[in-house]
Amino acid sequence: MNDELRALVDEIGRQSYDAHVGRHGLPDPFDADLWRVLETSGLTRLTGEQGADPAEAAVVLGELARWAAAVPVAETDVLATWLAAQAGLDVPADGPMTVAIAEVDAGAGRIDGVAHDVPWPAVGPVVLAARSADATHVAVLPPAPADGTANLGGEPRGDVAFDLAADDVVRLPVAVADELARRGAWARCVQIVGAFDAAVALTVSHVGERKQFGRALDAFQAVQHSLATLVGDVERSRAATTLATYAAVDHGFGSAQADYAVTAAKVAVGRAVGPVTTIAHQLHGAIGVTIEHQLWLATMRARSWADEFGTTGWHATRLGRMALAADDPWDLVVGR
Amino acid sequence: MSEFDALRADGADLAGLRAAIRAFLVSDRETFGWTPAVDCWLSSWDTDFSVRLAEAGFIGLTIPPEYGGRAPADGTGYLHRYVVTEELLAHGAPVGAHWIADRQVAPGLMAYGTEEQRRRLLPQIAAGRLYSAIGMSEHGAGSDLAAVASRATRDGDGWVLNGTKVWTSGAHLAHQIVVLARTSPLDTDHRHAGFSQFIVPTDLPGITMSPIVLMNGEHHFNEVQFDDVRLTDDDVLGEIGSGWHQVTSELGFERSGPERFLSTATMVFEIVSALRGTDVDDRTAAAVGDLIGRMVSLRQLSIAVARALTSGEDANARAAMVKDLGTRFEQDSVELAAELVDGVAGPDRAPLRALLATARVHSPMFTLRGGTNEVLRGIVARGTKAAS
Repeated sequence: MNDELRALVDEIGRQSYDAHVGRHGLPDPFDADLWRVLETSGLTRLTGEQGADPAEAAVVLGELARWAAAVPVAETDVLATWLAAQAGLDVPADGPMTVAIAEVDAGAGRIDGVAHDVPWPAVGPVVLAARSADATHVAVLPPAPADGTANLGGEPRGDVAFDLAADDVVRLPVAVADELARRGAWARCVQIVGAFDAAVALTVSHVGERKQFGRALDAFQAVQHSLATLVGDVERSRAATTLATYAAVDHGFGSAQADYAVTAAKVAVGRAVGPVTTIAHQLHGAIGVTIEHQLWLATMRARSWADEFGTTGWHATRLGRMALAADDPWDLVVGR
Repeated sequence: MSEFDALRADGADLAGLRAAIRAFLVSDRETFGWTPAVDCWLSSWDTDFSVRLAEAGFIGLTIPPEYGGRAPADGTGYLHRYVVTEELLAHGAPVGAHWIADRQVAPGLMAYGTEEQRRRLLPQIAAGRLYSAIGMSEHGAGSDLAAVASRATRDGDGWVLNGTKVWTSGAHLAHQIVVLARTSPLDTDHRHAGFSQFIVPTDLPGITMSPIVLMNGEHHFNEVQFDDVRLTDDDVLGEIGSGWHQVTSELGFERSGPERFLSTATMVFEIVSALRGTDVDDRTAAAVGDLIGRMVSLRQLSIAVARALTSGEDANARAAMVKDLGTRFEQDSVELAAELVDGVAGPDRAPLRALLATARVHSPMFTLRGGTNEVLRGIVARGTKAAS
């Protein structure tokens, strides 16, 4: 089943990728054609409406990231649809959506503030999760004005201001905001591994074709060793992310198992982003640092995603605190 | 079965096994008082422990019952052994005596041994009473194993072995050495042809051993010289001329096993435990989290390879990858752990510094033994290219 799904998304993603070679901008415009194709195939609300599990969602998110797709499927499906459903809020059954996360002081009676770095803030309804000391306040906001801001990978990011009366928000437990962030962190891990796969494919192809000193680059031992390190860090990231995916499949994103496995994956994947992007660029030479080349879509998105829904350092601190609180740190490694 | 549990090698049957080996380790250590050690699979030789471990049912998990072992009928023995092995390493247990016999010699006998050899040797291995060394490297044959020059020549109905092996771990304490030797002259067009394996009892005449002492004075390695050592056909392991294939085809489990990233785990866990209850700042907590996160990801990759190998998939390149990544992690963990020790005060500090000292001496070996990382990375790169 997942193999068929992978083949389907692979084909859809490849078409979008081929259509946009050399035409990616800062910010990268929303790919409405791709969205329509995905929506027709039921892939934009896979977990929300189709009842798919996180393993299936991971296939879609990973493949789309591999093809540098400019569509907020993770935000729409895994985050906004879920959050709106938790709050019992009506949201459109089609079209893109996103989420905004902010810390607020709810003591003053109004829920107001600014959510920063909101992904894709202008393409559809923004489901707000405003977190106070004792609650998650949820509301649906209209799309924010597009201000042209983008992350390093060209994806639109922006600030969303809100000022709501207490009656205009749905009050949910703090755990809802925690789970939302965990879902986001998991989605970013899956997407980063997809971007890594693109970086590896581009790099293997380049060092096999590019000749210097009369030989293909991959004939040089130093190049082989760098490539091995690159691939190793990618496979290590994939293994950690797979565990996180199945923690969510078997126990749900709200579980302690998912908390542990997503945290560990975000640390492992996040720490791999530096070496993977560095080696991929090094092996491409100067060719890879231009905006015409496809490599930055993989490496710079991975860089940006690693900082989202909790930086690598933030997750490392949390994982470290878990280890320091455990009766036996080895139990944490085993995931017990 | 839960896939989450299966991915962590902690599904129903493995979780029970894990609980059992943990209970054994706690009670055995309480009774016999061994000290958890860094790199215990090389350095902690305790034959009494090996026998107790076997009697409790934790050795011979890949050996079928008809040869005295405890391999489950469903073919998952390697996963059972994986769980037991990682628990032994995580707790720094003295596993050195039976290690090579259970890990390498038993699978070799199952794959290539004669019925007589299996009946003679496997029950002893499963009982934790047979200790073996492996004679591969020589003065002129390190990473380039095909340069092995030890020679076994036909003499009547037997063989005469001559040559010198080095870095032979535990040979001075072992009952036997599995030796790779040439049985045909070197053919420069087919360098890997003409090798054979011999199971050489260490009490035969003509064997001379001298210690190769580690830089902190520990003695694990040996130079072993064979001067006209007379062997019989019963000492041949597998086919004459197939030695190269035999020693290289079974490397997957060895390269990808838990000993490739848990050699320093005891030290890491003891330090983290010593920090528990102290006022740890965020930066230190993050350093701990980075260590644990990397260990978790390596373990997940290692288990994925073990499961692939168990189901008969080719995972050669990924196994080499585990060894490269895991042993580099082991080395990095030593200096990261050293920084963490700075945060430990009081009487806990001295034993931690002792573990650290051993780890620092053993650390250079992590990326050398069983094939240097430079060789491994070549395997990974070629595998990546072939798969693309």
